[in-house]
Amino acid sequence: MSDPIRIVNDATCTFCGCVCDDIVLTVDTEQHRITKSQNACVLGKAWFKEHGIEERPHALIGGREASTEEGVEEAAQILANARFPVIYGLSDTTCEAQRVAVSIADMIGGNVDTTTSVCHGPTGIAFQGVGESTATLGEIRNRADLVMFWGGNPAEAHPRLFSRYAVTPKGMFIPNGRKDRTVVLVDVRRTQSTPVADIFVQVKPGADFELLWALRALVRGRRVDGAAVERRTGIAMAVLEDLVVRMKSCRFGVLFFGMGLTMTRGRHFNAGALLSLATDLNEFTHFVAAPVRGHGNVTGADNVMSWQTGFPFGVNLSRGYPRFNPGEFTAVDLLSRGEADAAMFIATDPASNFPKPAIEHMHRIPVISLDPKPTPTGQLSHVVFTTATYGINVAGTAYRMDNVPLPLRPAFDSPYPSDEEVLTAIRRRVGELLGGNRPPVGAPPAGIVT
Amino acid sequence: MASVLRILNGRVFDPANGIDGEVRDVCIQDGRIVADVPPDAKRIDAHGMVIMPGGIDVHCHIAGTKVNLARKVQPEDHRHDVHMRTRLTRSGTGGSVPSTFTTGYRYAALGYTTAMEAAVTPLGARSTLEELHDTPVLDKGFFVLMGNNLLLYRLLQEGRDEEFRHALAWWIGATKSYAPKLVNPGADEAWKGHRNANITDIDGRIEGFDFTPRRVIAAFIEAANALGLPHPVHIHCNNLGHSGNFATTLETMKTAEGRRAHITHIQFHSYGSVAGKSRENPTSRARDIVDYVNTHPNITADVGAVMFGRSTSMTADAPLAYMLRRFGGGKWVNADTEMESGCGIVPFTYQDTVYTNALQWAIGLELFLLSDDPWRMVFSTDHPNGGTFMTYPRLIRLLMDREYRKEEMAKVNQLALDHCGLRDCLEREYSLYEIAIITRAGPARLLGLADKGHLGVGADADITIYEEHADKEAMFSAPRYVIKDGELVIEDHEFRAEHEGRVLHTAPAYDPAIEQVIEPFFEDYYSVRFANYPVGDHYLSQHTVVPTAAAAPA
Amino acid sequence: MSLDFTLHTTPSVPLEAEALSAAGLAGLSAAEAARLTVVHGNRAAEVGEFFRVGGTPDGEVHVSGDLTRIKRLGAGMTGGRMVVHGPVGMHVGTGMTGGEIVVEGDAGDWVGSAMSGGRIIVRGNAGHLAGSASRGDAVGMRGGEVVVFGNAGNEVGSGMRRGLVAIGGDTGDFTGVNMLAGTIVVLGRLGQRTGAGMKRGTIVSMHPADLLPTFGYACSYRPVFLRLYLVHLRSLGLPVSDAQLAGRYRRWSGDAMELNRGEVLLLDHP
Repeated sequence: MSDPIRIVNDATCTFCGCVCDDIVLTVDTEQHRITKSQNACVLGKAWFKEHGIEERPHALIGGREASTEEGVEEAAQILANARFPVIYGLSDTTCEAQRVAVSIADMIGGNVDTTTSVCHGPTGIAFQGVGESTATLGEIRNRADLVMFWGGNPAEAHPRLFSRYAVTPKGMFIPNGRKDRTVVLVDVRRTQSTPVADIFVQVKPGADFELLWALRALVRGRRVDGAAVERRTGIAMAVLEDLVVRMKSCRFGVLFFGMGLTMTRGRHFNAGALLSLATDLNEFTHFVAAPVRGHGNVTGADNVMSWQTGFPFGVNLSRGYPRFNPGEFTAVDLLSRGEADAAMFIATDPASNFPKPAIEHMHRIPVISLDPKPTPTGQLSHVVFTTATYGINVAGTAYRMDNVPLPLRPAFDSPYPSDEEVLTAIRRRVGELLGGNRPPVGAPPAGIVT
Repeated sequence: MASVLRILNGRVFDPANGIDGEVRDVCIQDGRIVADVPPDAKRIDAHGMVIMPGGIDVHCHIAGTKVNLARKVQPEDHRHDVHMRTRLTRSGTGGSVPSTFTTGYRYAALGYTTAMEAAVTPLGARSTLEELHDTPVLDKGFFVLMGNNLLLYRLLQEGRDEEFRHALAWWIGATKSYAPKLVNPGADEAWKGHRNANITDIDGRIEGFDFTPRRVIAAFIEAANALGLPHPVHIHCNNLGHSGNFATTLETMKTAEGRRAHITHIQFHSYGSVAGKSRENPTSRARDIVDYVNTHPNITADVGAVMFGRSTSMTADAPLAYMLRRFGGGKWVNADTEMESGCGIVPFTYQDTVYTNALQWAIGLELFLLSDDPWRMVFSTDHPNGGTFMTYPRLIRLLMDREYRKEEMAKVNQLALDHCGLRDCLEREYSLYEIAIITRAGPARLLGLADKGHLGVGADADITIYEEHADKEAMFSAPRYVIKDGELVIEDHEFRAEHEGRVLHTAPAYDPAIEQVIEPFFEDYYSVRFANYPVGDHYLSQHTVVPTAAAAPA
Repeated sequence: MSLDFTLHTTPSVPLEAEALSAAGLAGLSAAEAARLTVVHGNRAAEVGEFFRVGGTPDGEVHVSGDLTRIKRLGAGMTGGRMVVHGPVGMHVGTGMTGGEIVVEGDAGDWVGSAMSGGRIIVRGNAGHLAGSASRGDAVGMRGGEVVVFGNAGNEVGSGMRRGLVAIGGDTGDFTGVNMLAGTIVVLGRLGQRTGAGMKRGTIVSMHPADLLPTFGYACSYRPVFLRLYLVHLRSLGLPVSDAQLAGRYRRWSGDAMELNRGEVLLLDHP
């Protein structure tokens, strides 16, 4: 009788953007449970532990149990008939599934958006204005002697950012690990991350932009009104001046940043100011910026969208070619303004966190939802697919926050199909219904070459 | 799905088989060129048309993390150049860094059937393969960046030359790549570890090691030769873009000592210098470079011509990109990859009124026009660094049409022309035969693709049929037919079928014991697990392993 | 008289109606205009499916109804006059090069973005990104005028190179961000972070404002050119007061982060 216990080495955790690939899973293949996840942080452990196989209908149509095939037919009809559908989510699934999702959006002439738009979308927009100096996490581990965190709480949201990548581990040129590094934390309040820092800068809420702008001015040797800085940010100029000295004189500096910056007043300008600061510092030393991504494969979603359409999120394909406009084609806006007439949500639960007008609208339109577990979004959906979970049951590719693509090593099989399988079946059927991709409509607006 | 086809009445240009415009039939069956097909086979009447093997781009940047960053950073570059979907084909965007589907369709629409992505980090190989999978029609492969690899440096440091060779072989196989690539060898440590410094002397000691870039270059050339790789080491020399850098290029070529080596975008490495107001200004030393290549048959090169207009500089040469940023004045992307490489991206516009740009344009033409051996000085613009692949038809016209060339020369910065030899090459015009060499037969040969670049029996049925036209730019802009693997992909200028090309890669032999050398290094210094590093076979869809040869004599 | 379009059916999803631009309708009869293509999601539709079309073509176009779902009205317009009665959606007059658009009501985001000529008047409020650049572009408006009687949102006049934007009410944050040149006049209050990254150009407000620390107070004076602009704006109907015409303005130069040749002029309240 074969041993039901299986060890999976080098498994990849997709709970957050750290995408740690050194997890050792102990799997009970009979019980379909992961009983141990060595090397995982507390969040990863919870992620691995909570997955099992539950008896659920493969699909629901209008609340009634159905097979996946029936669900595919119903979903395909909805998508083929929709005028202004939105496909959204994608950050908690494989690149292979993301590619199919974008191809469906192209086929039906709809909108496609990812959770980037509610997280680091502002960073994407800032990137388009400024560019970015960045590095892979191993580079930071091996070289960074000045490590700064801005607007995030890694101790609670990305624990191994500290322990595996950026603060404690030894590196090729950082032989003493933590002792060879200076850690700076900038935030509006004290958190669990604060004790980790050598220098904690508590900036007034809503003043990150001014603080970044003042630092930039000092780095560039430009005039800055010190009294105004202190008044606005709550930080003494001496602190800024000291920081600037440290930043210019380090050997390799890194500025990690999170939603404390991107999702507060200023948004993409906050991110842009930080990216510009890191860029400006390269006149003096080697300095990089690194957005700390939330969901496991949100970076993959950015990448798939960008290589297939040219744009990272908030893309519209109605007229036969990709158009990009955050605020116009991003899912939260399409739904809040009541514009989308159908929606497909893939591995995401907007009914739990979107603004009220968006959720109200979701009740009014036909919604398709793919998720391994029941969610509030599933509850309001017309068609629900129970799917297998990426990284737990499904293999594929996921991108770490620093753009490194990694393979997923599933722990145990699932009786449910993967997102990729469901989406591929939907695409096939939609293709039959429409006779291929929807043709372009309307002349392209003046000034566009085709 | 492959057709049985006879193409008749067209003028065939197949330099690998010595065919120079002869009217003869070309027969296709099962995706290959065959000697004959049944009389009832479908026919294409190519009367008034020119038949060539499908185009082969030996060096371009079309897929991978660096390319995708370049897409992401400039939505304004694509917004005005959209690619509409059709019932069969996917939509996309263009500009200087097109989206993947658009890349494949547009290359095919120019008559290209093979393209080699020029620079991929091992850590990013998976990404490149995913993007190549979404790049239709073309057969494709990529060169893997090894020239700043810290483990290989350590092996060199310790004199472990044989292990160096095995490790290189392991890396090429693990990444599913086609050839090893060197970019500004020895400079990464200066950039990342020494406050954005660069190196300028290939005989200067690399900081942290006891050897020089020259040693690195020689070690790779020797190892690649010993492994019998289909394409030799592909080298982006040190000092790209710097005045006086021709000397570095000559020294780099000498390092090969008779062994095969490929110097890429050699135009950017052909500069002399003349004292300017505040610094040295570049001049042309194309003659010196071409003389060396002409007389050393072990060396191959692609020109890397510059064409005026909007482009994007994207390169693994991070310090170069940082320098270019000062001229662009705008966005700059830098992305370091641990242990291996880096990259820099700067949107860039080449202007005919600017001295340096006009000089670069002229040197590219000079290199072509002075070359005695078109088999070894082949066509490229280092897309999109020198210009996008959409400029290829215009570049062909510049080579074939001396009147047009003279008209264009009259428009550019004249001081630049004073500092190069282009005025002395006015009379030469490339023939269709020579164009077929520099865009097809030559690339196939130097890439080691025995079944491509020619129309002999057994060759892959990758064929382009152009309507003959006095205006060569018009002619090469829009082939009438493009056949890939025997399938009519473009007919009467329109897409007829979706087609997935193949990934071309090579798998040189190595001693598996080398993994016991590589793995501990990994665990110490990389941030990914060794087991997760090599690219699994499932990333390859259609693919071909191009075999290595028996090692050439040393 | 004019060609009149009255909405009779609200589109179920946003309608892209750049076909309705005054110059584009030149010479067309009402019946012909009704057959023009508008884009309704992923399908083409005819103007007549949504609008009753009447009147005679004479270069003036009137569009009426609750047009909140109508996008791109007057986009790329080259000449003629369009009057829009009712609230209207995004991208009014985007990329226009000539002519005049008057919106009797509120307008959505991106009014007059990337325009290079002509004039847009919004009697109600505008959304965000009025007179702004498109995403990723360093340069926004290259000419023309955008006049909003009510309030406007964030990023008014971002990346402006030339032209005039006037807001009768308040603006949101980042007014004139990354401005290259041109003039923005705000009769109400500016939001935060005005003029961030500006190289040249003028931003005016009739109220005090908190500026970025990279802006420095220069002087207090009566700029002659400003009086000319304010007289012009008054002639367009904006409530410019005599005190504003005659007043002294405190000049702040910035953004020191960039060229420092830009200025923010704030009416000096003694």
